[in-house]
Amino acid sequence: MLQEAESVASGISGADIVAAAKYIAAGICMGIGAIGSAIGEGIAAAHALDGMARQPEMQGALLRTMVLGQAITETTGIYSLLIAIVLLFVV
Amino acid sequence: MHEIFSQLAGLLTHLGEKPILVIPLLGGEVRLDWMTILMSWIVMAILIVIALLLRRSLNRPVEEKPNRVQATLDALIDLLRSQLSSNFSSEELGKRMFPFVSTLFLYVLISNWIGIVPYLTSPTQDLNVTFGLALLVFFLSHWLAVRKKGIRRYLRGFAEPYAFMVPINLVGELAKPLSHAFRLFGNVLAGSILTTVVMAKIFPLAFPAGLNIIFGLFFGGIQGFVFAILAVAYINVAVES
Repeated sequence: MLQEAESVASGISGADIVAAAKYIAAGICMGIGAIGSAIGEGIAAAHALDGMARQPEMQGALLRTMVLGQAITETTGIYSLLIAIVLLFVV
Repeated sequence: MHEIFSQLAGLLTHLGEKPILVIPLLGGEVRLDWMTILMSWIVMAILIVIALLLRRSLNRPVEEKPNRVQATLDALIDLLRSQLSSNFSSEELGKRMFPFVSTLFLYVLISNWIGIVPYLTSPTQDLNVTFGLALLVFFLSHWLAVRKKGIRRYLRGFAEPYAFMVPINLVGELAKPLSHAFRLFGNVLAGSILTTVVMAKIFPLAFPAGLNIIFGLFFGGIQGFVFAILAVAYINVAVES
């Protein structure tokens, strides 16, 4: 068993490990990085909907402000996307 | 697996190997991306040609009844004015900035939408384009602020509310063009990467068309609007506060 594992391990070079680590890191980066912006955008949409239900005549202004706030919230998600892209294609 | 990554690397114009125009300049060299330049010229040509074509049917006396083109353009201008430049806190600044922010919006919008045409890529998929636009907004806002407030009051604005906040205020100002550029670039790039992956590997027939509608048309439109409205917000904050 141990010998088998050793013979498999001897065929793996350092570059393979780096490549595997790159893909894993990019996946983790994107997966965890998306959580924050998703929750933030959901909260913004929920409160905007609350406001619209209470005051339907304010819908235009609320929608505009919500989209703007969501775009700013999204920035952290975009940053993690960039890091993932850099990990995949540049490192 | 590898061919899909080489396809993606071709998408990342500033990261992958692409035909690049090298211009020797002052001992160094300037590297320009052919595809990005070509696509931004196509976008500009589309905007200018549409504007000239539409202008022809507006060349008529004021007393007449408005024709169809004029009514449509009135609605478009009204929409841009009420959605974009009405967010300036002063009427006069809004009137002055209206052509700029509207042009910014239309340019980014057409740039995002042109990516859904096969064999064409969005110029906003290149970080250099979005960063150029963001720097334009950045310098314009600070120039207007210096002109409005004078250099003394402008510099004192960085020491608000306390003098030791200067480094934080500086970093905050410099982060604005960065996030402004990365937001548009990341959104457009993410859309085209997703569409490419789905088209190359998962389901090449009709599904990518749906993705193009979502990422190209819908998110492209929203991101164009967000880019312009953030430009409005940055200029307004710099000038009015």
